[in-house]
Amino acid sequence: MASFLLAALIGLLTKRRNLIEFISVGASVITLVASVIIALKVASRGTYNLLSFFSIDSLGAIIILIIAFIGLATTVYSVPYLRQEVAKNIIGFRRVKQYFVLLNIFLLAMYLAVAAESPVFAWIAIEATTLSTAFLISFYNKPSAIEGAWKYLILNSLGLLLGFFGTLLYFTSINLNSGDFVSWQSLMANISHFDPMVAKIAFIFVLIGYGTKVGLVPMHTWKPDAYSKAPAPLGALLSGALFPVAIMMILKFKIITDATVGVLFSQQLLIIFGVLSVAVAAMIMYNSKNYKRLLAYSSIENAGVVILGFGFGGFGIYAAMLHLIYHSCVKAILFFSSGNLLLKYNSAKIKNIKNALGILPITSILFISGFLIVTGTPPFGIFLTKMYILSSGFKNYPIAAIITLFFMAIIFISFLKHVSSMMYGETPAGVEVGEGNKWLLIPPAIFLILVVVLSFYIPPFLHTLINDVALHY
Amino acid sequence: MNILFLQFLLDIFFLTIVFLHITKKNFLVAIAYGVQSFVVLLILLNSFWETHNYYLLIVIVLTLVIKIILAPLFFIRLIKKHALIFSVNTYLNIPLTLISIAALTFMAHSQKFLPLTNIVPANQAILALALSSIFLSLFLIINRKGALSQIISILSLENSIIAFIIFAGLEQSPALQIGVIFNVFVWIAIASVFVSMIYQHFGTLNVTSMKNLTD
Repeated sequence: MASFLLAALIGLLTKRRNLIEFISVGASVITLVASVIIALKVASRGTYNLLSFFSIDSLGAIIILIIAFIGLATTVYSVPYLRQEVAKNIIGFRRVKQYFVLLNIFLLAMYLAVAAESPVFAWIAIEATTLSTAFLISFYNKPSAIEGAWKYLILNSLGLLLGFFGTLLYFTSINLNSGDFVSWQSLMANISHFDPMVAKIAFIFVLIGYGTKVGLVPMHTWKPDAYSKAPAPLGALLSGALFPVAIMMILKFKIITDATVGVLFSQQLLIIFGVLSVAVAAMIMYNSKNYKRLLAYSSIENAGVVILGFGFGGFGIYAAMLHLIYHSCVKAILFFSSGNLLLKYNSAKIKNIKNALGILPITSILFISGFLIVTGTPPFGIFLTKMYILSSGFKNYPIAAIITLFFMAIIFISFLKHVSSMMYGETPAGVEVGEGNKWLLIPPAIFLILVVVLSFYIPPFLHTLINDVALHY
Repeated sequence: MNILFLQFLLDIFFLTIVFLHITKKNFLVAIAYGVQSFVVLLILLNSFWETHNYYLLIVIVLTLVIKIILAPLFFIRLIKKHALIFSVNTYLNIPLTLISIAALTFMAHSQKFLPLTNIVPANQAILALALSSIFLSLFLIINRKGALSQIISILSLENSIIAFIIFAGLEQSPALQIGVIFNVFVWIAIASVFVSMIYQHFGTLNVTSMKNLTD
């Protein structure tokens, strides 16, 4: 975490672009190595504690691994991406500097949120993610970008304040003496003193609050606007890393609520939000006109699927955790390849992207692969996780599972319609054939390999971590 | 402090939110937020007197500097810079707004929210009023069309939550409270920059004029 702080500080002070890029990539590499070591330790020895302020359990270990991988890929991809934008005079050096400083703060805030032992400190860190990304969303300083960033700032701040209120209501179980330090552990240890009615109200506030950050319907409205206006690499981080962090917060409060009022209450709420998210995303995706907004709605759908997995319970929880991992990887593929399309066509409108397969063959193959994976096409892992989640649902909540299956089919058709219209057709005038910098292809290609490998083989330590999450959450 | 005096303070707090709903001038909106934050400061001072936790003094000083001095000054500078004398209309007219305020206040005092207002039974009336303030601030965010008003509504919601948690005995360690206030400070700075950007790009602070992003 210190490496990101250092990278942000150096980024602020130096005027050398190469140094900013090098330090940012270096910080991400260091954090990736540290995250892998911590995850291995958690898998073998259980919760990892650092001082009394930081603690990482199995869920935290999986999330920091996701942040580390997506974070490194995003930083590496951002270097050639921003260089091309500078070459096209879209942005200047000041913007590049601002981008990397904010990117490092954003990554730091996410790590702090995951590792924080105090729910309030975690809340502060998540609020910091909003503040650090607001200027990244308004990065291009156009009216539409300002609009997207404003909606993001206001809706997320509102949601997080409700989440803050819900968080503090959980503290009623503890006899606070002039501002004691309250940890996740102390909240669990005091559940016998927690009023069930307060627990229910608190969970509703937390679910609405952090659900806004996750992008659950009906708190999702900021998501398509922010994703479509943010620089393409940031989309991968928002969808692939920030979303799991917010899910983690909901889950941590869920187990406290479940221990107080039983599992049924939170399960029913999660199922309602989950089905709504999948359904609304499906209905809008069919008529989507912008491929970045299409990816945003896909994230809303997948947020719904993950929440449904936790709502259905049983094996659905294991599948939801695995789905979270696959989704983060595939969103990196899709957002990075969408960035390549944007650089080539200078447009995010689906109607303006024609013959992508002929113009950007490798990018197009990556994008098509991403589409097939994210929509749950066999033999990729998401097909299995979606099936496992639905089969868990069929046991206890068959209607919810059938509705979800129906809308999943619509999402596949919608995606297929848009992707095929982008891949074929006549080449637009003025668009040259050929891929750009190879470093614009390597990060999404690595994630494609990773998803394929993880679809058939889960490393033992990851399997242990996911099992542990399924056992506790 | 006497419980009746605390109740009186919270009445003033509540009235500032009602005022934020009906006022038409941005300058008065900024001043009302300052007054509201001053009430929070007095409530925090009361908490300090009861607990003798000297770290709370840091929180109090930060509240004074950030919420009572800097934030209103930020907003007044913004209002003067862009000549934003009148605030943008609300979605509902004043009679309907007042009816909604009455309904939300009634809801906060209803049996449904008794588990929350009864967290400290001795403070039930005060907690019900603080909960009403939370609901009214939420409604303020939804009802206001102006970007500046929306910022102050968010800050008013934060103040309302702080007031609620103090009376519910849920105060955090001063270190975390400082963290929250620092967050608020950064938030105000960022949101103020956005208000300027909105004015530059759209020529108005009316958020309904932002219609670039649709499906």
